[in-house]
Amino acid sequence: MTNNIISDIKNENMFIAIVPAYNEEKRIASVVKSLRAHVDEVVVVDDCSTDDTARIAGKLGATVLSHGVNLGQGASLETGHEYARKKQADYVLHFDGDEQFDVADIVPALEKLQTTHKDILFGSRFLDNRSNMPFFKRHILLPVGRMVNILFASIPLRDAQNGFRILNAHALDMIHISQNRMAHATEIMSLVKKYDLTYIEFPVKVYYHEYGQAMSGGFRIMRDLVVGKFVK
Amino acid sequence: MLIIFQLLISIIVLIAIANVIAKKKDNTLGPKAMLFWILFWLAVVCVVIWPNSVQLIADYIGIGRGADVVVYSALVVLFFLVFKMNIKIEGLKRDLTKVVREKSLE
Repeated sequence: MTNNIISDIKNENMFIAIVPAYNEEKRIASVVKSLRAHVDEVVVVDDCSTDDTARIAGKLGATVLSHGVNLGQGASLETGHEYARKKQADYVLHFDGDEQFDVADIVPALEKLQTTHKDILFGSRFLDNRSNMPFFKRHILLPVGRMVNILFASIPLRDAQNGFRILNAHALDMIHISQNRMAHATEIMSLVKKYDLTYIEFPVKVYYHEYGQAMSGGFRIMRDLVVGKFVK
Repeated sequence: MLIIFQLLISIIVLIAIANVIAKKKDNTLGPKAMLFWILFWLAVVCVVIWPNSVQLIADYIGIGRGADVVVYSALVVLFFLVFKMNIKIEGLKRDLTKVVREKSLE
């Protein structure tokens, strides 16, 4: 009986969206507005933007956490994690602040994670054909990225650099991101492997506004990963 | 000519060692670092005053010239220092991240 009551209360899962944002004043408003309909709380981590990102997000009802120094996307996500742990969230969503993703993917993704009882869900652009990816990116940059991931992380994700993820409370407890910049995507996968977390991939749509990272970004990720191996 | 060169270097080294000791007194240098730098500068003086000493080492480990030994070991030491510095900077970055994060969550 008591168990039933507890599970009833537990049905009210707290679902927090973490949106890392750096100078996204043009897009953050629509991201926050559309997200609020799908999650319990929108947390915008403002990574020391020089524009109006923080004010706009705050005005639209998002919880704004402000970095005093620009630290990078990985650090912003981890700040959001820290907040979600304090709030004892049941699920957290990683969602980019630049309108790349479609909020319509959120509810089906969460349901998929819940029904399959996995710890973490990774969005993927390759499971269906909805994303119109530039040729160079699809056939050159991403395969190279996948090779780097095999070297450093070794869980075989089809779309390793996708920023759409949902973590349950267990994954949230285990995954502490120490890679401040873009290498966090690979780091998350190696933590999944290290702590034996279960995962699934789920098709999401990605809109391409402009080119993501250039080649130099890829090299920086490799450097961060190598240096990270020596630092505790 | 050689004597003037040796004198000049010796004076520079003396100043450098005085500097190291002053830094230790200011607490900007740890005891291990102080020892390292004093030994380093003493080695420099030794090499300058007795240039043949490196030739002995060179012959012993099979490198042709004494000057090469100096260049090779300098490279090794520099690489090591750059590596250590990189690690240290990374550590500082993590400390900074911690402070910035704690402040943003207040």
